[in-house]
Formats: sequence, C-alpha cells, structure tokens
Amino acid sequence: MSGDGQLKLQAPKSRQSPRQSRRIRLQGIRKQALETGRNRLLVTGVVFTLAFLVIAGRLVSIMTFEQSGEPHAVRSAPSRMNVAVRADIVDRNGVSLATSLPIASLYANPSEVSNKEEAADKLSRILPELKRSEVLAKLKSRGGFTWLRRNLSPKKQYEVNRLGIPGLAFKRGERRVYPQGEAAAHVLGFTDVDGQGISGLEKQFDEMLSSGETLRLSIDLRIQDMLRQELTETMDEFNAIGAAGVVLDVDTGEALAMVSLPDFDPNVPEKSRGGKRFNRVTKGVYEMGSTFKLFTVAMALDSGVATLNDGYDASKPLHIARFTISDFHSKNRWLSVPEILVYSSNVGAALMALDVGATVQQDYLGRLGLLSPALIELPEVGSPLTPSVWRKINTMTISYGHGIAVSPLQMAGATAALVNGGIRRPLSLLKHQGLEAPEGERVLSVATSEQMRGLMRLVVTDGTGKNADAEGYRVGGKTGTADKQAGGKYDDKALISSFIAAFPMNDPRYVVLAMLDEPKGTKETFNYATGGWVAAPMVGRVITRMGSLLGLMPQLAAVSAEAKDRRLETY
Amino acid sequence: MKEQGLHKTELTLKQKLWQIQWFLVLLLFTAASVGFAMLYSAGGETAGTGSLNPWASRQMIRFGLGVVMMLTVAVLDIRLWLRHAYALYLATFVMLVVIELGGFVGTGAHRWINFGVVNIQPSELMKFTMVLALARYFHGGSIDDISRPLFLLPPLLLVAAPSALVLRQPDLGTTVMLIIAGGVIFFLAGVKLWKFGALALAALVSAPIAWHFLRDYQKNRVLTFLDPERDPLGAGYHIIQSKIALGSGGLFGKGFMLGSQSHLKFLPEKQTDFIFTMLSEEFGLMGGLGLLGLYSLILVYGFAISLRCRNQFGRLVGLGVTTTFFLYMFINIAMVIGLIPVVGAPLPLVSYGGTAMVSMLFGFGLLLGVYIHRDTQIGRRGSGEEL
Repeated sequence: MSGDGQLKLQAPKSRQSPRQSRRIRLQGIRKQALETGRNRLLVTGVVFTLAFLVIAGRLVSIMTFEQSGEPHAVRSAPSRMNVAVRADIVDRNGVSLATSLPIASLYANPSEVSNKEEAADKLSRILPELKRSEVLAKLKSRGGFTWLRRNLSPKKQYEVNRLGIPGLAFKRGERRVYPQGEAAAHVLGFTDVDGQGISGLEKQFDEMLSSGETLRLSIDLRIQDMLRQELTETMDEFNAIGAAGVVLDVDTGEALAMVSLPDFDPNVPEKSRGGKRFNRVTKGVYEMGSTFKLFTVAMALDSGVATLNDGYDASKPLHIARFTISDFHSKNRWLSVPEILVYSSNVGAALMALDVGATVQQDYLGRLGLLSPALIELPEVGSPLTPSVWRKINTMTISYGHGIAVSPLQMAGATAALVNGGIRRPLSLLKHQGLEAPEGERVLSVATSEQMRGLMRLVVTDGTGKNADAEGYRVGGKTGTADKQAGGKYDDKALISSFIAAFPMNDPRYVVLAMLDEPKGTKETFNYATGGWVAAPMVGRVITRMGSLLGLMPQLAAVSAEAKDRRLETY
Repeated sequence: MKEQGLHKTELTLKQKLWQIQWFLVLLLFTAASVGFAMLYSAGGETAGTGSLNPWASRQMIRFGLGVVMMLTVAVLDIRLWLRHAYALYLATFVMLVVIELGGFVGTGAHRWINFGVVNIQPSELMKFTMVLALARYFHGGSIDDISRPLFLLPPLLLVAAPSALVLRQPDLGTTVMLIIAGGVIFFLAGVKLWKFGALALAALVSAPIAWHFLRDYQKNRVLTFLDPERDPLGAGYHIIQSKIALGSGGLFGKGFMLGSQSHLKFLPEKQTDFIFTMLSEEFGLMGGLGLLGLYSLILVYGFAISLRCRNQFGRLVGLGVTTTFFLYMFINIAMVIGLIPVVGAPLPLVSYGGTAMVSMLFGFGLLLGVYIHRDTQIGRRGSGEEL
C-alpha cells in the first residue's frame, strides 16, 4: 500500500517545529502521542456517553409518554401483500352483499422500456386520461420505477397487457365493493383502505373473511330491501329523525332483515359521519313504552298471579309517591287482563306488575334477555339501561315500558320467545346450517305462549293495533308509544313510536318490529304520531309484502272464523 | 526488556487464555442470548408461539463458530495482525470491488458475495479490516508526522475508497459507519481539530452534490425522516409501525412471544434491523433499557481495555472496534426510535445475520487480544524490537 511506502520515507527523521519541541518533555515523542491519545479517548468516551443518554432518554419518552399504543395500532395499515383475497358476504339465498374486486396499478421500469415513444403512444390511446407527453416524460425519467396509473379495471389491465410493452408491470390490490349500496349497511359495516373490517360483520368476522371464507347471512335481501323501503317512506311521511326495523324467524332466531335509518353507503363510508353509522337496532337503547305490557301480562299469566278472567281497577289514575300513572285510552272502569292489553292500560299493567312483584319481574325480564346486551354477531351492541335500585315505582313503570331502555333487537328477540312456544333462542345474522333449530332456553310455558298469541291477535283485531291487520296473515302485535326523555324530563312531543308484530298467529313464524324516532303526526293521522297510527300500518304493509315474497298464502276465510273463536274464548 | 516478568514479550498459550477477559465474553454471550430469544419469538407464526426455525437455530450455530474464531484471534500474537493489516484490508476491498462488478443481490442492493457454501457481506468485514489498516498506519507515524497534511492523505483514501464503494451498493448505514469510525481513529491518533473542521466544511459544501447522487428512495428516506407522516403507508411505514410497537410495549411489555405488532407482521424486518423494536414491545421499557445497559457495560470494557493498552496499535484497534460496536448500536436504535433516518444497520450481536455476527466477534477477538498484549512493545512495522 502507498501508506507503507510513505512510511519508509518518513520514518528515519522527524521534523520538529520549535513550538512542539518546547512542549515535548523528555519522555519523547511517543509518550506525547500517548498523552494526546488518552485525552482524546476521554473526549470520545464522553461523546459516546452523551449519545447513549440521548437514546435512552428518547426511548423512555416514546415508551412511556407517547400514547400511540394498541387502539391506534389496530386501525393502522396492515401488510396484506400475500393474503388471500377477502371473501364475499352473501345473503341467505347467495346474493352478493359484499365482494372484493381485484384492481391493478400500472407502473413502469423506464430503463426496460425499449421504444419509449411508441409505448407512450399506445398507452395514451388505451388510457385516454393519461397525457402522452406526461407518459413519455415518466418513461424517460432516470429512476427505476414510476407509477403510470393507479386502480385500473380488469378490462383496461387486459388491454394494457395485450400491448406487450416490455418494462410495464402491475401491482395488484383489491377494493371492497358493496353491490347493494345502503341496503344492509349497518349489518355489513365496512372496511378501511387496507381492507380491514372496522365495523359491522366486516369487523366481527374480519379474520374469517380475510382468510377467504365466505360468510352466508341469515338476511334475505328481498325482505331487507322491502323493509328498508317501507321504513324510509314512513320516516319521510312522518318526518321522523330515525327509524329501526327488524324481522326475525321465531323458530331459529335468524334475522331476515335489519334496517337502521338514516343509513349510509358502505362503498364510501368516509362520506357519512357518525350519526348515520349508528345502528339503532342493536346499538341504540330506547324506552319502548306499551309494547312492554306484553311481557307484564305474560309473566303474570305464566307465574299464575293472574288469569285471563281476572281484572284490575283502571277507573282512576294511580298516585304513587310524587308520580301519577294514567291511561292514554282510558276506559275509567275495571279492566280484564285481555282488556288491559287491548286498550293499552298503564294503570292496569302497573297494578298487575305489583301483583307479580319485583323479583319475579326481574327474573322474567332477565330470562327474556331484556336486562343484558343482545346476543348478536355485531360489534355494535348497546347495553340496556335498567334501574340501579329496583323500587316499587320501577316495577310499576317498567310494566308499561318506561324506566327501562332496551334495543329494538332485544325487544324483537323477547317477543319471539313469547309467541314461539316460550323458548328463547340466541339471535343470529348467519344462516343456520342444517334443519334443526338451535338449542334454546324455556322462559314460558307452552300454555302461556298460546295465550299470548291470542292476546296479541286481539290487540290487532279489536285494539290499538287495528291498522296492522294485514288481511289473511293473522297478524298479532302490540303498539308502543313512549315519550322521549331529554335532559331528565319527558317530552310529550318527542316520541318513540313502535309496533311489534308476529304472524301468522295460529302458528307464528316471524316477528316484525318497526320503530320510529320522533315521528310527527299528519293530517291523515289526525295529528297522532303514536305507534298505532305510525308504525302499525307500516308493519301491516311489510307483512303483506313478506307474504308474497315468501310465498305464504293468505287465509282469508279461516281468519275471520278463527278470530271469532278467539274472542269467545278470551272474553 | 525492562518490564516485569509477567509482561515479557512472549506469553505462553496458557498465560494468554488466563488473560482473556472472560467476563466480557460472558457479556457478549448474554447479548447474543437476547438475540436468540427474540429470533425464537420472531420465528413463531402466530402470537404466543415461537420457533427455532428459520432464524434462532442458525444464529446459535454462527455464534458458536464466531466465539471459537474470536478466542483464536485473541490469543494470536497481536503483531501478526499488525503485519497483515494491509493484506486483510486489501482482500476485503477486492471483495467489495467484485460485488460492484456483480454479486448476489439481496433486498434490492448488491451487498453479498457468494462463496458457494456461505454468502458473505464484505461491507461488514470492511468495518474491522479498515480499523486494522488505519491503526497500523497511525501506529507507524509520529506525532509530527500526523501534523503534516500529506501524511493524512493515504489513510483518508483508506476510508474514502470503501465508503464510496459501499455507498454505491447502496448501503447508507455502512457508509456512515465507515466514515465515522475512520474519523474517530483520526481523532484519537491526534489529528488536529481544525483539520476536522476543514473536512466538515468541505463535506458541507459537497452535500448538495452528494444529494444528487443519492437514489430516489434514499432521498425519500431522508425527507421522510424529517416528516414521517409525509408518507404513512410508504416510506414512513417502518418508523410509524416501529413507534406504535414501542409505545404499546409500555413499562414491562406484552410478554415474551406476545408482541402483536411483530407477530401480526406489521413490523418489517423484525428479525434484523427492527429486532430492538420487537424486544421493546415484548419486554417493555425495562427490556429495552436492560439491553442498553448490557451494551454500555461492553462499551466500558472496550474503553478500559484501550486505555490500559500501552502500544498505539493496540489502543487504536481497541477503540476502533469499540467505536464500530457503538455505531452499530447507536445507528440501529436511533433508527428504530426515529432519531435518524432508516439507513439499515443491524443491532450488534442480536440481529439475525451471519456476517455481521462473525465480523463483530472477530472485532471482539481483536479487542481481547489487545488486552492480552497490552504491554507488548510493538515496533513500527510489527516487530518486537525497541524503537
């Protein structure tokens, strides 16, 4: 090496500057060098120590003070490079609700493109949105990589491939598409830009979907779409701020339709803000009002506290503590148990609940699933609001659906148990495989369930639910109208109006629930915005249309005869 | 010789083995074991599992071979290394040139050379052979030699030539390490401070030109370092994921093999450059600081050995090795915690990588040798005679 050669030249004689020779002590040059070396070594050591401290300090600050931990991480960009295409979600009949489209992004390795002029010509012809001059400039750039066009359709990709230009290549990706748009938005949820499910079923079954396993839902798109249409029209008609609807199969617990309005387009979730994404069916909890009387009557009959022939004094409002309980459709007389339901008497229900007692009431409500969050395969599930201390007044108000808030889905699930023979089954958004219904838990006797069917039918034939009577489908149900609470006070202008129905009542197969949030009365309804006027007619229409969609024959002659029988039996 | 009997020029093999700093060897083994544990964890397919394949087992074998080599290097006469310093340097340099002409291409960069059985990365070897060459050069010079600008030209070339080659590969991390390690040796050899100033000024002036020579992705890295949010899904991805992992580790971590960032494959290159992040995610701040503590003990050993050494060659080699070790560690950790751009440097003794591990142990072999031969008198060209 050159260094070695130079060394030989320098070694024999060293030149000393006068200044240095003054500084040098007798130990000689080598000693001096060692001395300087030691000093500088210490300096280096200090510098290293400082650098060390900087690192340690920074580490402590990142790991203890910056809260960029888990929640953020879950939503951050994943590496999906080698993962299988995200699987489809289909309805119970196999209709696609969510699918992934392969997309390709075109890039070039400029150095490998031999005839750049020709390549630019051809590319700009196939992809008119690209300017020839820009493509040419990119192809002539010195780098080894340049994007030409992102997100090409398969057709365009095919055409570009057919050009056979060397040096062009595609980077593959995928996009989540929801062909039905808003139709089942809240059920499906949506994914983020990286294809990770961040709400709804997309989130709940993220792992399964990303491993390529198709998800078959219990939802029937035809019913879903119809329910959504009816709810939307009703919401517009009564100028409501929101609406919720659900259709359950009472024997399997499957949800055939689930709609929350207003909704959003999961294809472009970024265009809708929080309110629209809120799932009123599962996440929202509401004081449901009189529909709760069904449960009060059911538990009174089932526990043997009352029979259909017993009566309660509903002749005057009830005064308890500082509260007054009065009736909306007051008859000012003693009412039989069926009448309490048919005329929706708060006073009667409250007296009945007092007979039942708080403990038994809680027991039944709990077993009907009204005191715990609905069991459904969605991440967005709301917890019911229940009294922290269950006083006498709570027992009374809960009997007619106040002082307890549950989600519409819990309501529908509990009603299904009332009419299906008394068995509560877990609810599901996934289609059941096989024929037998899932195991359930008996909450009522078969006899009580029989009686409840009759009573619900009576509400529609003779009571507040007449508007829901879809001819030929033996609809039974119950209206509910609750004042919304705002700031600790009830507002009698802001209502939650609902109707819960089951049909056909001789052997119920489906439960249909519709709920409108703050509907306003119209001239046609004589300014009433109650469940009987707003929700019941809509449920009637839904049931008629369901009947034709599912091929259920209306039984016109039989129904009137049977209704008469029932009346004789129950009055 | 006027030295005490124990430190006479020639030591027997038994004496030399006795003189090895076994505690330092233990520290090295501990650091490497941390690496084995992390590689075992990184090998697991899902959270909660680990595997010896594909990384941990191979790393253990390399460490075993490396330790044998380290002890051999340590007991060999240090003058042997001085005598062959230039030859070793030249051999490594030739390998770098061969790679430039066409070596095996790993992740987008020409860094590897294929020797049939093993692939080796000459740039890793260069970090230590350059130290040897520089130490020999400065060992041969006197204090006033060093004050002559012309005398400094050959060692400048010794640093610049491999740096340029490595930069072309392109491997920014190694380039920076070569330049800084070279600079530190210059500094310790006694080069006047104003010369560093002049060089720094020249570097500053030429920075815009150097910028021009950087690849686009390297420019991107520098820009992204200045603002990581600039490109969160692209170049900034490493750092953001790394910081998330660090932040989620907390004080005591998520537990061995339970790091979600790394096991869910958010973390890129978790077995090599980002292994420190994985460690910190799984063992928390305590784990991270623990490893830092281990490293600082090793560094203290390096400095103490160099300080204790009575010959210039040994001291410069010791410091060169210590500095290189420090730079590995500093660049890697500073990179993963976002203090400096992502340049690509392994965590010494811990990251998966054969050449880096073996080179590092070769360096520590030299350091142990420096201690064993701390009182050996070395002539200008490696002979045992007096001045």
